[in-house]
Amino acid sequence: MTQVQLKNLSKVFSGAPAVDAIDLDVVSGEFLVLLGPSGCGKTTTLRMVCGLEQPTSGSIWFNEADVTQVCVQNRRVGLVSQRFGLFPHMTVEQNVAFGLSVRGLPAELQKKQVNEMLDIVHLSEFANRFPSQLSGGQCQRVAIARTLVTKPDVLLLDEPMASLDTLLRAQMRQFIRDLHDEYGMTTLLVTHDQVEAMDLADRIAVIFDGRIAQLATPEEIYQNPVNERTARFMGHSNIFECTPSSDGHIESPFGRLTLGTPARPRANQPTKAMLRFESIQIDSHKSDTQHNVLKGTIKRAEFLGAMMRYTLQVAQGTLTVEEASTNIRKTGEVVSISLPPEQIWLLDASA
Amino acid sequence: MPKPYKAHTAITGPLARRQTLRDLAQVLPLFVVLFFLFGGAVVLAVLQSFGYAPWFGINEFPSTHYYERLWLSADFWLSLGYTLYYAIAATLIGLVISIPLSIALCARFKASRIFSALIRLPLMVPYSVGIALALVMLGNGGLLSRFSAFIGWIDDPAQFPLILRTHWGWGIIAVYVWKQVPFMTLALAAVLVRKGDDTHEAALVLGATSSQIFWRVTLPQIMPGIVSASLICFAFNIGAFEAPFILGGGYPDTLPVLAWRYFQDANYAFQLQGMAVVVSLALVSGLILSLYLLAYRRYERARGRV
Repeated sequence: MTQVQLKNLSKVFSGAPAVDAIDLDVVSGEFLVLLGPSGCGKTTTLRMVCGLEQPTSGSIWFNEADVTQVCVQNRRVGLVSQRFGLFPHMTVEQNVAFGLSVRGLPAELQKKQVNEMLDIVHLSEFANRFPSQLSGGQCQRVAIARTLVTKPDVLLLDEPMASLDTLLRAQMRQFIRDLHDEYGMTTLLVTHDQVEAMDLADRIAVIFDGRIAQLATPEEIYQNPVNERTARFMGHSNIFECTPSSDGHIESPFGRLTLGTPARPRANQPTKAMLRFESIQIDSHKSDTQHNVLKGTIKRAEFLGAMMRYTLQVAQGTLTVEEASTNIRKTGEVVSISLPPEQIWLLDASA
Repeated sequence: MPKPYKAHTAITGPLARRQTLRDLAQVLPLFVVLFFLFGGAVVLAVLQSFGYAPWFGINEFPSTHYYERLWLSADFWLSLGYTLYYAIAATLIGLVISIPLSIALCARFKASRIFSALIRLPLMVPYSVGIALALVMLGNGGLLSRFSAFIGWIDDPAQFPLILRTHWGWGIIAVYVWKQVPFMTLALAAVLVRKGDDTHEAALVLGATSSQIFWRVTLPQIMPGIVSASLICFAFNIGAFEAPFILGGGYPDTLPVLAWRYFQDANYAFQLQGMAVVVSLALVSGLILSLYLLAYRRYERARGRV
C-alpha cells in the first residue's frame, strides 16, 4: 500500500505553466480522480507521477521516499493510457507477459501469472490473438491485465475509457472499480467525464488551469461546489444572482428564498447561488405558505428518456427542473415548485 | 404498400461513365510508360538475349548461346558476386546507420531544423558529385591520405590503405551509403512518427530497458519501413553503374559495368551478350527481392499483421 504525495508540483512548457504548484495527498489504497477540462494539466500531473515527465519544480513522494528523480522503470507504477499502447506485433499473452519477461521472471512463473491474470480479465480464450483482432473493450482489459500482472504499487489510469462506447464504458467502470477493491492499490485516474469521476472516486480533485480548485468526496463536490466553474463542470444546475441576508435568506429573481444553512459569503454582498435541476420538486398541490414554494409556467419540455427537463418561467427568472418522465407535463401548464432550502448552495466568488 | 428502398452503392449512368473516362485518362501516362516503354524494352531485351536482332543482321532465335557463354564463364559469377556484395553490404550498413539516426531524429531532434537539413543534404547532391567527393577524400592522393601523412600516421600519402579501385569496394559502398542513408532515415522516421510514443512509454513503465525496448518493441514495429527502404535501396544499388565504373577495382567488373562494356563494343553480337547480362541481372535481382518479400510476409503473418 503506497501513499502518494505531490508537494508544490509544477510543470512549465515553453514558459506557460501546465501544472501550477499542486499539493496533493493520496491516501494508501485510495481511488482518487483528477477531473478537469482538456488542457487543465491533469494528464501532465499523472505523467509526472509516472515518471514520463520531469517536474519543473516540486517533488513527488511515495510513502516516505522522494521519487522525483527516480526513473520510470524503478517507480513501480502501472499506467493504462487512453490508446492502451498495446504491442501490435505481440499476442495478448505476450503483451501481458512483457512486464514479467523484461524483469527476468522464469518462463514457467510468467506463464502461470499471465494465465491467472487473463482469467481475471476474462480473456483466456483470446490469449493467442493479436491486438488488431480485439474489440476496444478487450484491448482495454489486456492493457489493464498487462499492468496489474506486474503488481505495481500505484495504478495510474489516463482516460482509459475515452475511446469506448457508452455501454462498454459503464461496464468497464464497474470492472475497474471491482479490480481496485480487490487489489486495494492506490489508484489515480484522469478524466474529463464527471459521471465517470463520481462513479469511481473515493475523492475527486477538480483541476482548472493547472491548479486544484476543490478536493473532496464526489457527494461534497456535487452538492457543495466551491465556485461557479466547479458547479457548472460537475453537472447541470440553476445558477442565479442573489444577495444573502444575515437572517438565513437570499433575495433572488424568484423572490425571497430561505436557506438551509447560514450564508457563507458575507451578508448583503451580491453573490451567486446554485440549485441542481433534480433538486427542485414539482408538486401542483403544495401550499404557497411553505418555505420556497413558488408558482411557475412551463415554457419548454424536453424528453430525455428516463427524465423530463422543464424550463419554467418563475417570477423574474427562469429555472430548469428535471423529474422522472412517468408523468409528462405540457408546455403552458402552471405548476407549484418547491426549492428545498438545504439544496440551495451559495457559491464563493472568491474561491 | 410503399416500395422497399433500394440502396445504391455506386453511381450509374452517364455520370459514372464520365467518371470512369476521367479515371482512365489519369492513369493513362502510367500505362504508356509501363507497357510501351518499360514492357516493350523488356520484351526486346529478352528477345535479343535469345539471339533475335534482325536490325543487326543477327537472327538465331531461339538460341541460349549467349546465356550459356555467360553462365559458363567463371568471371560472370565473380561479377555477380561483386554486384551482390556491394549492393547488400551498402544496404545493410545504410540500415545500421539509419535506424538509430531515425530514432534520434524522432526522439530528440524533432524540432531541430539544422539536424533535419543536415540529414537531407546528400539527397539534394547528385550521385556524380558524391563520386567526385569520394575521389577527393578517399583516393591515395586525397585529403584523408594527405592528412594521415601530415599527422605522421604514414610517411607518404601513397602508403595510405587502398580504399578506391579495389574489389573490396569501400569507395563504392561509401558512396551508396552516403546517398541512401538520408532516404532510409526519412522513410524510417515517417514510420516512427506514425507509430507514436504509446508503445515506447508502455514498455518503459513496464520496466523495460532501452535495449529491450529497441529490440522487442521498436524494431518489430518499424519492420515495414525497414523492408520498404531496403528493397528500394537494394534494387537501386544492384543496378547502379557510375560508382562501380569510376571507383571499382576493374576487371571483373560488376554486372551493370560488364553490360556497358558489351554495349560499347563495335561488334554487334556483343550487344546481345550485354542483353543476356542485363536479363540475368534482372532475374537475380527479382529472385532475391521476391524471396526477401516472401520471408517478410511470413514474418508479418506470424505477428498477425497480414
